[in-house]
Amino acid sequence: MIEARELRKEYGDFVAVEGSTFSVDDGEVFGIVGPNGAGKTTTLKMLAGLLDPTEGSATVAGFDAGETEMRRHLGFLPEESPLYEEMTAITYLQFFADLYDVAPADAERRIHETLSELELDHRDRQIGDMSKGMKRKVAIARSLINDPDVLIYDEPASGLDPLTTNYIIEFTARLAEEGKTIVFSAHNLFHVESICDRVAIMRDGAIVARGDLDTLQAEHGETTYHVYTTVEVPDSVRENGRYQTVVGSMDAVEETRTAAQDAGGSVVDIRTEESSLEEVFLNVAESGTERPSASAAAESGPESPGD
Amino acid sequence: MRLRNVLRIARWEVTKNAGGIDRRTLAVAVAAIALLGLIAPLAASGGGPSLDDGLYHVGVDDDSQYYDVVRDDDTFVVRRADRAALGDSVDLLIEGDDITAANTQKGEAARQEFRSSVQSYNNRKLRQEVNATAAFPVSVLLEYREQSGVDSGLVDQPDGADGDGGAGDGTGDGDGGTGGDGDGGDGDGGTDGGDGGTGGDGDGTGGGTDGGDGSDGDGRDDTGNGSGDDTGDGSGTVDPGDSGDLGGITGPLSGEGISGSPADISPPFPFQSLVLAFVFVIPMNFLIQAYGSTILSERINRRGELLLVSPVSRYDIIAGKTLPYFAGAMVVETAIAAGVFYLLQGQVGGLVSVFAVAPLVLLFLGATFLGAMFARSFKELTFVTVTITVSLTSYAFVPAIFTDVDEIALISPLTLVVRELQGEAISLGSIVFSTTPPLLVALVCFGLGAGLYREEDMFAQRSVPGRVIDALAGPITRRWHVGVMTAVLVPFVFVVQLLAIAALFALGEIAIVLLLVVVAITEEFAKSLHVYAAYEHRRFERSVRGALVLGFASGLGFFLAEKIALLAQLVGLEQLAAGEAGLSGGVAPESGPILLLFLLAPLALHAVTASISAVGASRGKGQYLIAVAIAMGVHLAYNLGVVLTYVQ
Repeated sequence: MIEARELRKEYGDFVAVEGSTFSVDDGEVFGIVGPNGAGKTTTLKMLAGLLDPTEGSATVAGFDAGETEMRRHLGFLPEESPLYEEMTAITYLQFFADLYDVAPADAERRIHETLSELELDHRDRQIGDMSKGMKRKVAIARSLINDPDVLIYDEPASGLDPLTTNYIIEFTARLAEEGKTIVFSAHNLFHVESICDRVAIMRDGAIVARGDLDTLQAEHGETTYHVYTTVEVPDSVRENGRYQTVVGSMDAVEETRTAAQDAGGSVVDIRTEESSLEEVFLNVAESGTERPSASAAAESGPESPGD
Repeated sequence: MRLRNVLRIARWEVTKNAGGIDRRTLAVAVAAIALLGLIAPLAASGGGPSLDDGLYHVGVDDDSQYYDVVRDDDTFVVRRADRAALGDSVDLLIEGDDITAANTQKGEAARQEFRSSVQSYNNRKLRQEVNATAAFPVSVLLEYREQSGVDSGLVDQPDGADGDGGAGDGTGDGDGGTGGDGDGGDGDGGTDGGDGGTGGDGDGTGGGTDGGDGSDGDGRDDTGNGSGDDTGDGSGTVDPGDSGDLGGITGPLSGEGISGSPADISPPFPFQSLVLAFVFVIPMNFLIQAYGSTILSERINRRGELLLVSPVSRYDIIAGKTLPYFAGAMVVETAIAAGVFYLLQGQVGGLVSVFAVAPLVLLFLGATFLGAMFARSFKELTFVTVTITVSLTSYAFVPAIFTDVDEIALISPLTLVVRELQGEAISLGSIVFSTTPPLLVALVCFGLGAGLYREEDMFAQRSVPGRVIDALAGPITRRWHVGVMTAVLVPFVFVVQLLAIAALFALGEIAIVLLLVVVAITEEFAKSLHVYAAYEHRRFERSVRGALVLGFASGLGFFLAEKIALLAQLVGLEQLAAGEAGLSGGVAPESGPILLLFLLAPLALHAVTASISAVGASRGKGQYLIAVAIAMGVHLAYNLGVVLTYVQ
């Protein structure tokens, strides 16, 4: 559904995005994460056709990014909600329905259905008088007005209160269940982790890691072992009458077991803990040198759809 | 660009803005516009209430010969001439032929006003005479000549004036009052010229020369002059309110010549033209405030971003957002044109005016659009719109002042408006000459602005000069684009130079030198600024060879586009020394190698100077400024050489 090949964007001397290659399957939710200035928004805007790549190309729904026909299949939600605040929610959505050639009757039905799903009241209130969360819901409704196949959401829950944030994340998840292809960026990695099928991590304009969460954890995360013993061993801490030792490998677990036995005790429990996406992200982001994953390296060349 | 999308966006632009204005504000705005539309034609036609109505109280009996004079002048309040009853309550008391003014400043002012009223009254009466020759026995044709001796031609008079009038001897009541004979020309274009005033009593003098035998044609051979010290109450008076202070415009408007005493004859200062021109410009100054705001508001907080990602092109968006303002402006301008035309001519008309104003409206909108794309904030937009208001109002308004004086006035489309309202014939060439430059400049403004109407330029926080550089560099990706861009900028140069001609031509010979300086500055910037912009945007490798290629491309583009100056010949503008210097660079020799040299020399000039600037531009800002200054110097020297060689 989405193909990005060697996308590069320069602003004068500054390279915002470099060699960005990836694909997103039909119905897939693809997350892009990275620190501020990593190139996430620039990448999304190149996909949406808002920015012309300096090099490389992208196709969305079978059309070159930026083509008029492509835009008919796309719902784009920028990080901010730049709405016409002097309009009401209804007239605003009617305006965009008109631009997207949605028949008035269909537009009317779609507007009311979407606003109902989003639980947006005060539809005849001027947008300028709405709260930030309400404006965001209007913006989301606008992105759906043309019933697009592809949604590109840039920080959809940015700056919203937790309740609205959760609601919007859940709504986005429902859209994914309906079969929409979604490219999604967020600072909150929990949200990405909760709804994305695959994730790309960007740093300094380049994709430095990508894949599904298991792959990323395997390649960039750490598995830690919490070994609980009945006696004190080196580096252990007392916890609830037991001694906990955190080690990073099975060899270290064996060493801990031996140490406990030597001290006249035994191992009573071993718990395994995988890295969260946040920890993976921090590992990648904080690494001093670029460490492209095997899957990233594979995707930097020609790839088959669905990779 | 799809019309359907344009109309959709236009409709929603109206809806959106209507939603932002409460009904009370909208009602006030509509009322203000309606009031403006009502007042403007009245003001232009000289109607409407006057501040001095009922200012003086005059005692006069209804059987007095002066009764009608006082009654017809709104400045006066008529009272019965009863000295005992009135006491000091009147400013002027008329008893028989005895006129007594109150011994106050106001009384003296009332006496002066009364004197003027008598003159006006007499003039009106004389105008009603069937035998005009008897009423105004002296006919004088005025010809205004420049001090330098350059023949500027006569003030145009409408066709159809009777050519056989106006011969006669002017005689004054006192000594020495004589008038010259003057036969008007017969046939087309024959005019009576201005009717000479009759000498007043006292020391009035009149001189006239019979310059010819009234040859057919334009009557320009007949000249005369007259002067008189109209201090008495003679019959040859001028009604100041009707004609005297309107200079040469009233004659054409009324189809009559100016009549009055020689002392009342003044150079043709087209007061009414000024008012008319101003009326047409006023709405545009309001319009651009609203239009500039709507364009800038798309850029503030990235509001226009979502339109850019919708299935419409940026050209659809720009056209759609502009259309309501253009249409609204044209409705207002049409109403003004129709209203003024009806009031002045008593019939429906003004089509040429509407056609003439359309490119001016587009120019205001185009310049504002570009300015709004440059501005970073509403504060900057205010600065930009004020600049546009001042410069474009000057461009439109100043030349129109000279409507009755010189063809130079045609550089402004408003001159066409004024001419139509005066009932003058307007040639197709005049329309093309007046409307093409502003139309082209407007299109260039929209084009440059459209180049910035995209995500990465719209919302970037760049300074205004930086955005100018962005706009100029945007369309340039190949070397030959430099030549095209130069050609595109030529209308700007053309308009600036025309405006300079209008502003400077009254200065005489020094105007030529000043104009040549303006020419050198504008043309060299037009040929080089975008080259500098392209280098700043790293479009080309910085090398001397590459710069020379770009310089030649720019010079060639300018040379080819400059031929638009040929349009000037359609209206004979080149007959002006200043126009000649500014627009063609000299008079073409007739034959041979010199002709070839004459044709190629400008190409060589433009290529050389553009190359100098381009080499400088390739080395950075400082070097560019030095290089363009050198190029201007070379250009100025060349132009001076041409003028000295051919014009003299």
